[in-house]
Amino acid sequence: MPRSWVDAILAAGAVPASYVPDASAGRTDLEEFTGADGVEDVALRTYAVADTRPLAPGAVAFLDGIEQWRVVGYGGVTPIVRGYVAAAVRRRGPDRRLRTAAEASRELAITRLESLAEPLRRALAASGVDLLELAEEDVGQPGRAIQAARRELERARLAQERELGERCLAALGPDEWLVVDGVLSDSAALSAHPRALGVIKSHGAQYFEGPELERALTLPAGHRTSVFQPKRRGARRAIYSWYLRLWPWEGNDLLYGLVRVEAHADAVTVARASALSAWLLRERSPLSTPDARWDRLLYAIHDVETYLRSRTPRDVIAPPGSRLPRTGS
Amino acid sequence: MIRQAEPGSPAPLGRVVATELKPATPHQFHFWTANETTIGIGAIVKVEGPGVGDQGPGRVVYGVVTDGFAYSDLATPLHDVVAAEGDPARAAESPSVRQEIRLWTAAVLRQQPEEPLQPVPLGAVYVASDADVAQALRMDAYVTGAQPSGIPVGLYTAAGLEAPVYLDADFLLGPEAAHLNISGVSGLATKTSAVEFLLASIFEHFPAHKGRVAALCFNVKGPDLCFLDRPGALDDADRRRYERLGITPQPFERVRYYAPFKADGVNLNTLRTHPDLVGDVEPLVWGLSEVLDFAEVLLNRDDIDAKADAFIDFLSDRVLNKEFDDGFGGSHRVQTFADLNGLFRAIFDGLELSGRSDMWRTHHIATIRKVRNRLSNISTRCKGLVTDDGPSSDLPWGRFEDRTVYVVDVANVDPLGQDLVFARAVSKLREHLERRDLGVEAVVVFVDELNKYAPGDGPETYVRKMLLDISERGRYLGLVLFAAEQFRSQVHRRVVGNAGTTLFGRMDADELATPGYHVLSPAVKIKLATLPIGELMVRHPHFTQPIFVRFPRPAVLRGRDGVERFPPAADLPFEEAVVRQLARLDRRIRPNQVKDLIAERRPDDVRRALAAVRRTRPDDALAYFRRMLGARVAPATAPAREAVPPLNPISEEPY
Repeated sequence: MPRSWVDAILAAGAVPASYVPDASAGRTDLEEFTGADGVEDVALRTYAVADTRPLAPGAVAFLDGIEQWRVVGYGGVTPIVRGYVAAAVRRRGPDRRLRTAAEASRELAITRLESLAEPLRRALAASGVDLLELAEEDVGQPGRAIQAARRELERARLAQERELGERCLAALGPDEWLVVDGVLSDSAALSAHPRALGVIKSHGAQYFEGPELERALTLPAGHRTSVFQPKRRGARRAIYSWYLRLWPWEGNDLLYGLVRVEAHADAVTVARASALSAWLLRERSPLSTPDARWDRLLYAIHDVETYLRSRTPRDVIAPPGSRLPRTGS
Repeated sequence: MIRQAEPGSPAPLGRVVATELKPATPHQFHFWTANETTIGIGAIVKVEGPGVGDQGPGRVVYGVVTDGFAYSDLATPLHDVVAAEGDPARAAESPSVRQEIRLWTAAVLRQQPEEPLQPVPLGAVYVASDADVAQALRMDAYVTGAQPSGIPVGLYTAAGLEAPVYLDADFLLGPEAAHLNISGVSGLATKTSAVEFLLASIFEHFPAHKGRVAALCFNVKGPDLCFLDRPGALDDADRRRYERLGITPQPFERVRYYAPFKADGVNLNTLRTHPDLVGDVEPLVWGLSEVLDFAEVLLNRDDIDAKADAFIDFLSDRVLNKEFDDGFGGSHRVQTFADLNGLFRAIFDGLELSGRSDMWRTHHIATIRKVRNRLSNISTRCKGLVTDDGPSSDLPWGRFEDRTVYVVDVANVDPLGQDLVFARAVSKLREHLERRDLGVEAVVVFVDELNKYAPGDGPETYVRKMLLDISERGRYLGLVLFAAEQFRSQVHRRVVGNAGTTLFGRMDADELATPGYHVLSPAVKIKLATLPIGELMVRHPHFTQPIFVRFPRPAVLRGRDGVERFPPAADLPFEEAVVRQLARLDRRIRPNQVKDLIAERRPDDVRRALAAVRRTRPDDALAYFRRMLGARVAPATAPAREAVPPLNPISEEPY
C-alpha cells in the first residue's frame, strides 16, 4: 500500500506526526483466573520429557504475525494511526530450511472519524484505506486513544493470523504439522485440527492456584505438566494444554523458558504429549537470539517474524535516528 | 521463495545491497545470492539499474567478484554452544537451519553509460553472458571492427559459461603497450605452457595489417622448448577450448632450433639430439668479433672501468680484422681468439724484452692482462659456443620468417655464455628492427627465469640494462619481451612495470604477501595460491580488474614427454659427428669419404675446416672441406695453434 493516504490526510490538514510505539510486545490482555480441568491427571503433575523419543514430523509449517504502527497525524487532538499487520507461514522440509508457504498483510488507518474535520474524513474515505474506528470513549487524551488503537491493531493481527492459519490447514500434508505462535482456541478450525500446535509464550491467563500453580510455574527444565483443559471462556474452543519448561529458570525468572502448549482436545494428544514436548525441546536449537524472548521463542517462529519484518514497508518502522527536526529532503 | 524467470528472460542471481558501512560506490558494490549459486571469486556479473529494459536505457554495470562472505543470523558463537549444550555433534541435529547469506563483493569493470560516473545502482544482478563479458572487458573496441586486433588468451569460465577472452594486439605487441610477464610457482606446467599457447594464438590471430611476426625463445632449462614442432597429447576438453577460441590445435609449423656445440666442437649441446630430430638443429657458433662487441657482458662490476672499456674499444676499432703492427716489429691480423692471444703474447714479450715501461700504446699492462683473462675465460667456459676460429653459424639475421619460432637452446651453457647469447641475440634483433630489415615487423622474445637476468637487487649488469631498455623502448620497435619468473617481487620493478600484460599462475603464499599484491583481495590471493593447472589470472590494459581465464594445453610435445619419446642420443665419436655435420650440409656425402679424409688429422684442424664449410655453405661441401682441411693443416703454412690458457679462478693474479 503506498502511503498516499497519509499524504492525502496531511494535504487535507492533518498535522504531521511521527511516533512509533513498541510493537509486538505480546498480548496486552491480562486475564482473570479461569481455571482448568485435569485431563491426564486429576491433580497437576510433572513429567520428565528429556528422554522421551521426540515426534519427528516430515514437515512443519510455522505461523506467526506482526504488527507495526505509527501515529502519522493529528486531526485536532485525535491521533490518526497508520497500522500494518502481516502474517506468514514458513514451511520447513527435509532440508531443514524454512521457506515461505503463504503470507498476507494489511494496512490500516485507525482513528475516530467523527473527531476529524470534514476534509480529513473525505481524504481518508477517498484513499480507500481500510479504516478501524475508535470508540467514542477512547478518544480524548491522545494516550488513551493510542492504547485503544493498539488494541484494535492487535485484534486485526490476530484475525490475520487466524485467517492465514485456517487457510494453511487445508494445504497441510498428511505428515505435516502446523505450529502457531499463540493460542489455537481462538479458531474453531485450528483447535479442532489433530496436527496443529499452539505455543504460547506469554502467561497472562491463570489456570491454577496454590500448589498446582507453584508446580506449574516452578517446572524443572525438560519437564512438562499433565495435560489439562482450560475452562471455556467466551468464544474460546475446547482445547488441551500443558506447560513445558525449555530452559532452567533458576537464577532467572519463574516464566523464563516456560511455554504453554495447546493442541486438539483429544485422547491422542494426551498420549503423545511427551513426544510433542520432546520435539519442542529439540526446537530450542538454534537459539532465536538476539531476540530478548529467545528462552521461549522457537527459532522457526523467530524466522517467520524476521521474514515479516524484512517485508514491512520501511516507512512504518521506527526510524533509527533521532527525532530532531528534518532539515533536508 | 525463489521465483522462476519469465520465459526468455534470464533470472537474476542476486541483488545489490548497500548499507552505510558497506555502500555501493562507483568502483565497488556488494550483492547477495542464494546459498546455492554457480558464481564464485572471479565471476563476471552484470547489474541492471532501474530503467533498463522497457523504460529505455538505464545504467548497466559490469563487475568481477573479488570477495565472498557467508554468515548466519547467529549473534555470537556462544549461542551456538548454548543451543548445542556444548556438544558439537548436537549442533548438526538442530531441526532448523539458520538463515544464511552469501554476500559478495565485486569490483566494477565498466559502467554504461560511462559518464557521469555514479555509484552502482541497487539493482538486480545477472550472470554475464558472452556479449556481457566482451562489454565488461571492453573487448568490443578491438575484437570487432574493420581491423580487429584480438588475440585469444583463454576462456573465462564461470557459472557454466565459457566466453573467449581476447588481448589487444596493439597493447600486447605494441605500439600502444607491449610485453608480457608471467609469474607462478615452478613445476605446475603453467608458465611455459601458457607462453607456448599464447604464441600459437598470436601466430594464428596476429592482425594482417600489423605485418609479420616471429618469436625468439631462449631455452634456459632442460628440454622445455625442444619439441615445439611435435604434437602433444590433448584431450576432448582441450580441443573444445581450442575450437571455442578459434585456434587450430597443432604444433608450430615452422621452428628453427639453434644450439652451441659441446666442448668437443662437433656434438650439439642440447637435449634434442635424437637421430630423428637432431638434423634440424643448427649449431650456434660465434667467434672473436661477436664476443668483442659484447665484451661488457663478460665484465663483472669490479671490472667496469674506463681503462678496460677503452682497451676493448681499441681492439675492436684498430685491431680486429685489420693488419696491425704491434710496435715490436710484428704484424698481426686478428680474426680469432688464437690470433688475439698471439698479439697479447707479442705485446708482453715485447715489453719484457725492450725493458720499456709497463705501458703499451697508452694502455697499462695490467689492463691488457685483465682484458686478456676475461676473453680467455669465455673461450674456455663456453668452448662449444665460442670458437677460436671465428663465426661459422648464427641466427638468420635479416632473414627471419613470418610465424616462425626460433629456439636458442642454452640450457647447458655456462651462465656467462647464456648472458652473452642473450645479450647478442637481443641486440641484433634491436639493431635489425631499427633498420626494418629483420624480415618480420615484430619479434616476441621469450625469456624464462627473468629474476636471474633482471633481478630487483644485485649488481647492475649489461643484460639487466638491456632488458630495461627493451621493456621501455621495445614496443616502438616491435621488440616484445615475454618473460617468466617464479617470484615477480624479485624482478626489477621497471621491467615488470613496463609489461602491459601480466599473467599469474599459482602463486606462492609468501610471494603473495609482498607489497606488490596488496591491491588484490584476500579471496583473490587465496584463489591465486590454489589455482589449478591451466588457469591464469590476467591483467591487461583494457581490463580494469584482473580476470581469471582457463587455457588449453599447448598442442606441442612437453619437454618432459619429448625426452621420453625422443631420448637424447649419446655423443657420437668424433669422426661420426663430423660425418653427420657434413651430411647435414650435403646429403650426397658418404661417411667413408669423410672418415678417410680426417683420418690422422688433428681434431682442431678438422673443426676449423668444418667451421669453414658451415660458414661458406658451398655447393660441393666435401670438396670445400677437403680444400680447407688441406690448406690449414699443411705443416708449412698452418700456424701452430696455441691454446688459450684457462683462467684459474683461485689464481693469485689480481685480475
